[in-house]
Amino acid sequence: MKRWTVARGLRRAVCAVAAASLLIGLAACGGDADQQPGGEATVAANPEGIDDGTKLTLWTRAPLEAQAKALVQAYNASHKNQVELTITPNDDYVTRVGAAAGSGNLPDLFAADIVYVPNWTEQGLFADITSRIATLPSVAEINQGHLSAGTYQDKKYVLPFVLDLSVIFYNKELYQEAGLDPDKGPTTLAEFKEHALAIQKLNKKGVSGTYFGGNCGGCGVFTWFPMIWASGEQPMNEDGTASNLNGAAAKEVYAMWRELYEAGAVAPASKEETGATWVGDFQQGKIGVMPYPATLLATADKSVEVGVAPIPGLNGGQSTFIGGDGIGISKDSKVSDQAWNFLSWLMSEDAQVEVLAKSNSQVSRNDLAENKYATDPRVKIINQVAAAPDSHTPVARNFQQAFNAAGSPWVTLFRNAIFGDGSSIDADNQAITEVLAQ
Amino acid sequence: MATPVERPTAVRSAARTTAGPGPDGQRRRAPRLRLARRNQGWLYAAPTALFVTVFFLIPVLLVAQMSLSDWGLFAGNRGFNAPDNYTDAVGQRLFWPAVWFTVKYTIITTIILIGVALGLAMMVQEVALWNSFLRTSFLVPSALGLASASLLFYALYAPEGGPFARLLSDLGIGDGTVSFLGSPNAALWSTVAVIVWRFAGFYMLLLLVGLQGISSDVYEAARVDGANRWQIFVHVTLPLLKPSLALCTILCITGSLLAFDQFYILTRGGPDNSTITIVLLVYNIAFGGRNDLGVAAALSLIVLLALIVINVVQFTALRGRED
Amino acid sequence: MSTMSRPLLATSSRRVLTGALALLFLFPLVWAAVASVAPQPGTAQVDGWGLGNYARLAGYQAGLTQYLINSVLISGMTVIFTLVVSLLGGYAFALFNFPGKNLLFLATLAILMVPYATLLIPLYVLLNSIGLQNSLVGLALVLTMFQLPFATFMMRISFEAVPRELAESAYVDGCGTFTALLRILVPAVKPGLITVGLFAFLAAWNDFIAPLILINDSDKVPLPLAVANIRGQVMGVVDYGATEAGVVILALPCVVLFLILQRHYVRGFMSGALKG
Repeated sequence: MKRWTVARGLRRAVCAVAAASLLIGLAACGGDADQQPGGEATVAANPEGIDDGTKLTLWTRAPLEAQAKALVQAYNASHKNQVELTITPNDDYVTRVGAAAGSGNLPDLFAADIVYVPNWTEQGLFADITSRIATLPSVAEINQGHLSAGTYQDKKYVLPFVLDLSVIFYNKELYQEAGLDPDKGPTTLAEFKEHALAIQKLNKKGVSGTYFGGNCGGCGVFTWFPMIWASGEQPMNEDGTASNLNGAAAKEVYAMWRELYEAGAVAPASKEETGATWVGDFQQGKIGVMPYPATLLATADKSVEVGVAPIPGLNGGQSTFIGGDGIGISKDSKVSDQAWNFLSWLMSEDAQVEVLAKSNSQVSRNDLAENKYATDPRVKIINQVAAAPDSHTPVARNFQQAFNAAGSPWVTLFRNAIFGDGSSIDADNQAITEVLAQ
Repeated sequence: MATPVERPTAVRSAARTTAGPGPDGQRRRAPRLRLARRNQGWLYAAPTALFVTVFFLIPVLLVAQMSLSDWGLFAGNRGFNAPDNYTDAVGQRLFWPAVWFTVKYTIITTIILIGVALGLAMMVQEVALWNSFLRTSFLVPSALGLASASLLFYALYAPEGGPFARLLSDLGIGDGTVSFLGSPNAALWSTVAVIVWRFAGFYMLLLLVGLQGISSDVYEAARVDGANRWQIFVHVTLPLLKPSLALCTILCITGSLLAFDQFYILTRGGPDNSTITIVLLVYNIAFGGRNDLGVAAALSLIVLLALIVINVVQFTALRGRED
Repeated sequence: MSTMSRPLLATSSRRVLTGALALLFLFPLVWAAVASVAPQPGTAQVDGWGLGNYARLAGYQAGLTQYLINSVLISGMTVIFTLVVSLLGGYAFALFNFPGKNLLFLATLAILMVPYATLLIPLYVLLNSIGLQNSLVGLALVLTMFQLPFATFMMRISFEAVPRELAESAYVDGCGTFTALLRILVPAVKPGLITVGLFAFLAAWNDFIAPLILINDSDKVPLPLAVANIRGQVMGVVDYGATEAGVVILALPCVVLFLILQRHYVRGFMSGALKG
């Protein structure tokens, strides 16, 4: 009786282990990404892709909601293909894409913060569109910063989706009240500080001189890297593997913000701002002057008289962070020809001028910077600074981990420098270098 | 209670009545019936066995394998690399902060939650309509999921429009910018409040079951001896409640060590990584930029081992004290 | 009366204090229901009372109905799988004797010992390899597995509590074991089945971390995940109104079910707990 049980049990155990090893073996193979089956012929035959009524899925992140919706609507209205847009909160985007990519369920098209693009390109999340891009008539005019961020081993994977530049926005009414010239924004960091303090002196209830994302790594790089660039310093080394954020100019920038904070010129909510609501207060007329995303010019205009100035350095100059999102076809898409149809339309004048420029957003093609809608002098300022020699799109493989991720070493550095006693900048900078160098 | 050991007797007696007279007939029937019954037993247990094997045993083996391999989220299995994943996991920038915070959170939550539950149980243990209403009110939060409860409190803690914020500013406390989730301590206590609200009723229920086991004779005897309320509580009720308290403690500690939902929704581990729990760290390593399933697997195995050790220690400690 | 002959406080002040405590526990839910239809700046319901927040929720991405359907499908499948597997399993463990029985039972209970997070990552990889990734069925199977320890244990003790005479009479009539199960034993263990079904439904309806990892398509996510996502939609302002509306919809079936069935399962739990 007993022997019977043991024999049975043992046999079952052996079967189970065999089944397990089989499944584990299967799982181990699960990670290979399949290459797109030969598409050279279709690419040549259909340089603009195929428009046959296919449903395409597109993911983007919340900050670019307005532009994304406008583009998708315009495309859907004029094409047989229909794009289904999914907008994800900024904080969830990386994990969402990660989980989807790992299980082979990426949507046909997805946009990525340009600072994540090098990492995701290298990991093979995007499909190779080098030959397709080469067929674009405007290929030479496309924003080089974004294109090179999405280039890996000489192959191109990404096109610019929505360019987002950082500039100084200021509230003209508050400037007038404070006795500042409403037509002139700050031209040096010292002036920026003065203006913010002047607005704060108004002592208006609920109004603060300035605002920043005190707990937001992405906001920090977006708004302060230009200050460092315009001061003639580089925040990272050339290949993005070491951090230089303890340089002299950088330390001056932190010191300026620290002074503003201690003088009470920064809105109290800034300290814990994780980036979810960092643009809200300005639109409600509560902030005097702050670095801001240029994509929100049209939105902010609805409720505030907005003045625009380029972000200055310590002694003048101008620079901007050429950010925003790049877009590509995912490795999992089975309708890449149709997906390409959307991308080639995106690069056309119809999309760039009639949708983006019309709503005072940035165009991604240099030849379209002067267009019939670019009459607003503020848009001209933005276009100008985009072409300035000190304006960059930083590229680093571990950018997201080092800077944008919640609780990244970058966040630790500037929080210590501004809210703490500022003594650990060098040590914190070392922590950033360690993450970048991984 | 019917036990399997008695089964054969029942079967044999049934066989006796239906098989007809004669010892030979009975003995030949019973074993065959038992054999058939045994096979059928396996048949009925097969779905359970299938689920447990495919969705539990194999993943456990798989996670062990993953923890010993260089396994990226996109790249897949790239071969063994023991013990790198383990050293990476422990050497992670946020490993010790996460461990420390999780332990701190567990201790605080367990003490407060069990204390509150005990108080509630003592309050409502008598039969009365009013107590029925009280019991139901305390139990209603348990109907919600933890994620729903967290979302609910996320809205309650809204810094400007939320009722708590408005209450505090009406009372003149704080400088008008009270932030329940904005500073490390506030975030911790706000989250503890959510958990206490959600689970107090459930643990109260467990303790009520324990209280039932104390017969009123014991109380009578104590009262006759002249003990007052407090003495009765400390020297009679508490010791006799030990098994229930032990169960509650074990459940609470295990649940708190594995906290994820509430922190993901309320704080995402912030501000400044001050509220990152171990499981949140595992999730971030797996899907949040580092994309390293091997290290995440190693970390989650470390959690499993820690949990086993803690539970074994609890079991022996509490059982020892019982004797 | 259990402990005291004289209450500590007069009945009226006791009532007031305990009543306040009860209100404290009930307040959040009641507030959510009220606030979801009340005017609030920064939401879809800025002026006056109304269902604006619900309307926004209904129109959000794939739509409220789609998320509800997802949640219902997931929970429904989990309940069905759990009931079937634990019914058969509990039957086997309680009334049969077979080799490896104790081992299997222990393995089932061992699921409780292993943390969710430890299992979800290999489950993610496993579901990918058998083609069940990003599917409601795959998610339901995983949720069923997590229910098995409690469900099997519950059904086992339910079957064991069946009076011996009832079980015997089933076999005496010459029924096969299956017919015996269906005709006679299932009705006898119905309270256990209800408890198991209720727990499985609540767990599946409210689960958050498993769908977060195992479901990728945004139109397949269940409701808790959808509500967590809608918070950060409007640029610059968190939409609390939509969150409150979402919580009400999430909580409503749970609270209703709980109130209906609490007489059943709380009383079962408490049988003899309260001294009269």
